Amino acid sequence: MVKEPLNIIITGVGGQGNVLASQVVSAAAVQAGYRVAVGETFGVSQRGGSVMSHVRLSLNRPCGPLIPRGQAHVVAGFEPLETMRVLLDYASAETVVIMNNRPNYPLGCLSGEHRYPDPERVEEAVKKMTPRLHVLPATELAKEAGSPLAANMVMTGALAGSGLLPFGRECFISVIGSLFQGIVRDLNLQAFESGFRRMDG
Amino acid sequence: MSLAGVCQEKAGVKVALTGNEAIARGALEAGVAYAASYPGSPTAEVLGTLSRVAKQFNLYAEWSVNEKVAMEGVAAASFAGLRSLVVMKADGLNVALDFAGALAISGCRGGMVMVLGDDPNAHSSVREEDSRNLCKAKHLPVLEPSSVREAMEMTREAFALSEELELPVVVRCVTRVCHASGDVELGELVRPERKPDFTRENRVITFGIKLHAGQESKLARAAHLVCDSAFNSYTGPENPERLVIASGPCYMYAQEALEMLGAGGTTGILKLGTTWPLPEALLLEHMERVPEVIFAEEVEPFVEDNVMALAAGCLPGKVRFYGKRSGHVAGPAGPGIGELDPDVLAASLGNILGINYSPGTIDNKQEALSLLEDKMPDRELAFCAGCPHRASFWAVRAALELDGRGGIVLGDIGCYTLGMARTGYYLLQTVHCMGAGIGLAGGMGNLSRFGFDKPVVTLVGDSTFYHAAIPALINARYHNSNFMCIILDNETTAMTGHQPHPGRQHTAMGEPAHTVPMEDIIRGVGMPYIVQDPYDVEASIEVIYDLLRQEGPRVLILRRSCVLAAVRGKQKDRVYVNEDKCIGDSCGCGRFCSRVFACPANVWDAEKGRARIDEAVCNGCGVCASLCPQGAIMVERGV
Amino acid sequence: MERGCEFGMPGQEQLQKEVMDRDLCSSCGICVGLCPYIKTVRDRVKVIYPCGHEDGTCYMVCPKTPTNIGNMDRAVFGREREDQALGLFSGIYYARALTGKPGGAQYGGAASALTGLALREGLISSAVLTGGDIKSPRPVLARDADTVARCAGSKYTGVPSLLELNRAIRDGLTDIGVVGRPCQVVAVRKSQQGNLPGPQYPSSSGIGLVLGLFCFWSLAPELYGFLQLETGGEEIVKMDIPVEGPVAYTRAGKYSWQLEDIRTFIKKSCNTCFDSTSEYADISVGSTEHDPVWNTLIIRTGKGLDIFNLALQKGVIEIREYPPERLPLLRRAALGKKMRVLSLLEKDLGNTGYITLPEKYRRDLETQWGGINQ
Ligand SMILES: Cc1cc2nc3c(=O)[nH]c(=O)nc-3n(C[C@H](O)[C@H](O)[C@H](O)COP(=O)(O)OP(=O)(O)OC[C@H]3O[C@@H](n4cnc5c(N)ncnc54)[C@H](O)[C@@H]3O)c2cc1C
Ligand code: SF4
Ligand code: SF4
Repeated sequence: MVKEPLNIIITGVGGQGNVLASQVVSAAAVQAGYRVAVGETFGVSQRGGSVMSHVRLSLNRPCGPLIPRGQAHVVAGFEPLETMRVLLDYASAETVVIMNNRPNYPLGCLSGEHRYPDPERVEEAVKKMTPRLHVLPATELAKEAGSPLAANMVMTGALAGSGLLPFGRECFISVIGSLFQGIVRDLNLQAFESGFRRMDG
Repeated sequence: MSLAGVCQEKAGVKVALTGNEAIARGALEAGVAYAASYPGSPTAEVLGTLSRVAKQFNLYAEWSVNEKVAMEGVAAASFAGLRSLVVMKADGLNVALDFAGALAISGCRGGMVMVLGDDPNAHSSVREEDSRNLCKAKHLPVLEPSSVREAMEMTREAFALSEELELPVVVRCVTRVCHASGDVELGELVRPERKPDFTRENRVITFGIKLHAGQESKLARAAHLVCDSAFNSYTGPENPERLVIASGPCYMYAQEALEMLGAGGTTGILKLGTTWPLPEALLLEHMERVPEVIFAEEVEPFVEDNVMALAAGCLPGKVRFYGKRSGHVAGPAGPGIGELDPDVLAASLGNILGINYSPGTIDNKQEALSLLEDKMPDRELAFCAGCPHRASFWAVRAALELDGRGGIVLGDIGCYTLGMARTGYYLLQTVHCMGAGIGLAGGMGNLSRFGFDKPVVTLVGDSTFYHAAIPALINARYHNSNFMCIILDNETTAMTGHQPHPGRQHTAMGEPAHTVPMEDIIRGVGMPYIVQDPYDVEASIEVIYDLLRQEGPRVLILRRSCVLAAVRGKQKDRVYVNEDKCIGDSCGCGRFCSRVFACPANVWDAEKGRARIDEAVCNGCGVCASLCPQGAIMVERGV
Repeated sequence: MERGCEFGMPGQEQLQKEVMDRDLCSSCGICVGLCPYIKTVRDRVKVIYPCGHEDGTCYMVCPKTPTNIGNMDRAVFGREREDQALGLFSGIYYARALTGKPGGAQYGGAASALTGLALREGLISSAVLTGGDIKSPRPVLARDADTVARCAGSKYTGVPSLLELNRAIRDGLTDIGVVGRPCQVVAVRKSQQGNLPGPQYPSSSGIGLVLGLFCFWSLAPELYGFLQLETGGEEIVKMDIPVEGPVAYTRAGKYSWQLEDIRTFIKKSCNTCFDSTSEYADISVGSTEHDPVWNTLIIRTGKGLDIFNLALQKGVIEIREYPPERLPLLRRAALGKKMRVLSLLEKDLGNTGYITLPEKYRRDLETQWGGINQ
């Protein structure tokens, strides 16, 4: 394993299915024999606020549920602004970022009091902090797979396909397979695969 | 997350569980027979999990109407010799406290465990509370897990401890345990036979001060027992220069903080898993060896105060203490406020140890930020897309403006508490605790005798209605208080994850319920009521307006299922904007949908100068379409 | 028509300050439904949320914002008036419906008959009317003669029926007929002035025909509670306010009161209303003040004359000469009202110039008032 522990942050907006993604990662990790600690920050933020899951993987030591500042190795951002927010606190120059390019507008931006930063600018800003940025249209890919809501599984697929995790595709597939049934399972697997293909190689 | 993990028969297997699932598993491993709860974050999923496996394990699980009733039911099972579990958030303990205090005196028989969820930083609460102080006041022993794994083990062991002491035992879990997940090594599942046994001989009575003495001696025994508990442990050098006393996840943070500071060689950590009563002998033994003690705990300085009191008696003047009282252990908001984390602890410890700690960061941060020109826009909390509350609040606001007498609006606890913010057009003027809105409204409504002439409106959710509103309603009827109660009935306990309540057709275990319609209750209290669908905003405005102009206590039920529950597994209606009709910023609209109504799916395409619906967010309720002044929002019915 | 306003561009905020907050709103309804921020319940019209715009169509079309009588005359008739009492008109008659007089008609049923005819002949696509019960009237958009008949009879409250006009235009209807009180007629004419801040009234917006009622005041919604109490909830089939005092008919019988009993319900806005005979309508319809089965009819515009002639030709109405001895009475009533309004407005310090009278009008008004009082 590259890092011990490996610190991953999955971030987005309440309702985007962050928690499910972090659960899939942690279950896959345990299946692969790792120790995991996941800290979820959501609470009322499930109602449109910023949400963030800290996922920490280790070969043998128990970790606390929260990653210290500047120590995230991988950030999977379901939403550009939230990715930026997390990076400001948790990134180091080596952090690898996988980012969905689809904005989700805060109320203040919808009302016109604040401006949502230009998406290209967000990408530039992220690159300023860490050059290892992968942007993908996760929401669009999810739509192709059948529902924009499956963007979380596209992102999970991208994370799995990035080669940054010490275990492979099969662990994920079996977890997703055990979590869902019927057409929902098919949809999520398809979304996962499309994210995986994007990042694999 | 993994129900399969919770039910896994094979002991020794490692699975990933959330903290709440781990607690449920711990209870199963202890052979729990009876479990009850009122849903509250961060502990809501404990009973949720147990209810789903209830049949499989022949246990009884219920979502009770409130925490006091839950605790009473659970105590009854314990009186009959069964192992029983009650789960609630810190706020719930306040509701159940009267009974908890009495129960602590009478004691129990079958192992009875109270899982209390404290929410440092109030992630999903209106305030942060430290329930340990109340447990101490009520003479209840407290265990505190530091991790998911320990949450499972402690819950399991707590049953045995309870039986040994004949006292309910509290497992106090914070959000960072409940809402965490981690790998746990499963223990043995047991399936004891259920043999409730309570005869004419059994007497469980709380009366007289003799029992108080018995209670003190039980606690003294507990203090003795916990000195040998495996949940307390020391890690660090043999002869440390100082000692950190840590409880809950702060133990994990303290370890990491010392590591980051490189101070593990000089500083030891005493992990306290049993925080009340204190393992006094153990503490004294460790403290005797060090001149400095640092406390790491959330939220209040509970261990700190009690350890300092202990030391004042036994080691006077020998030890220097650092913690919240001294101001050394503090997050950004101040000591005893908010959560700790590895960074906060590293900064605090660094400060005490004279080591400079600066958290990891990147050089280009400022440059990156300057690229964004504006400040990063904050993300305010909002009702979900399609939430019926948004429509309700808009209707209430409109009706109050039409009425024009400056009516006041009192709030309560649930998703709709967010109505105090932008998403509810800042309508709510009071937010306190479950049911308080009705009581307050009753009081305001009595002020008319002194010339108070503003209409009084109180908003309450359906689950909160059953939980805590009914006595206040009876009181209001009896005294003919002058207010209007609006029940925002979304037919579920939405905030905590859609648990059923007495208005529903099924129980926690999925059995058909004997529904108690709120209409029957209101009718029984003798109040007039009207039922209205809030999605029909225009009609709602009219109904609210008319009710505002009536006298006496009166009820409006705005009934519409929580949109998240309603769309689950269904094809949503497709909603889109006809760009030819949308007039956007112009007089006649002024971006009503995105700027004012503020459903998060109503976005504004600045380039086109037209509204747009974000199909990834929209839940297809169609309310914006009904309010669009141009009829520019179209709804295509799903199939 | 003036864009007069104390502070900058006038919009919703000024409408609220100058009209609504000062209780000068007559509940015409023209501002309701122009946007999502002005709403009505039970005849009350209120701003429910600040729209954020500086200038607004609502202010421009409200009949109670500054209105220059001279400019209005030129905009509607292309010339100025001589008669300060009744405004511009080409003929005045007694009239009543011959065919199709609805049972519930207030007097001669001319208003309903003419509206029904215009609908049947396709001169208008629909008509904005005031229907419902006396105790709970509601705006109605009639698409057929039956609905017109059902809306017959006066409801004496300020019903904001013009919201139906806005809805009809939004739905793409043209050649819409309107039957309304004088304030509503002014509002409709203001909506036709063009050059408005918002797109709510496209230039093609066809107002087909404007039938104005005589009206010296309307009543506030508090009347409903009064009637409810007085009649014990019986349905009121007709109400009238002749000189002897208000009367209401239920199926069981008749209730009558003194004018004093309902005076407190008179809308404050009506005290400053300058127009009692719908001076900007195509045709104005009122009572005769003595013969309850006839109406007074004032033909004002060319459009008005056309429908009037058509109605005669088709035998929809019959007419009689307007009794010459009654004309001074009518003129005196109209002039008297104007004189009262002027003196009220002069005393009102908060007055934002709701009525602007050209100098000449003012002089003529005083002369004609003096003349009629001899
Ligand atoms: C509030 C009010 C006050 C009036 N005051 C006087 C007066 O002082 N002197 C006088 O001569 N005449 C007055 N009228 C007019 C009179 O009552 C008759 O409406 C008119 O004479 C037409 O009679 P009709 O038989 O042709 O009416 P109908 O054929 O019965 O038709 C009546 C028409 O009036 C419309 N209408 C009813 N109520 C209202 C309302 N509240 N607002 C707008 N339109 C309405 C209906 O839509 C219908 O089209 C008043 C009318 C109203 C509504
Ligand atoms: S239909 Fe409109 S109000 Fe409803 S969820 Fe979609 S965008 Fe929001
Ligand atoms: S008079 Fe008419 S336009 Fe003016 S505020 Fe009242 S309802 Fe609106």
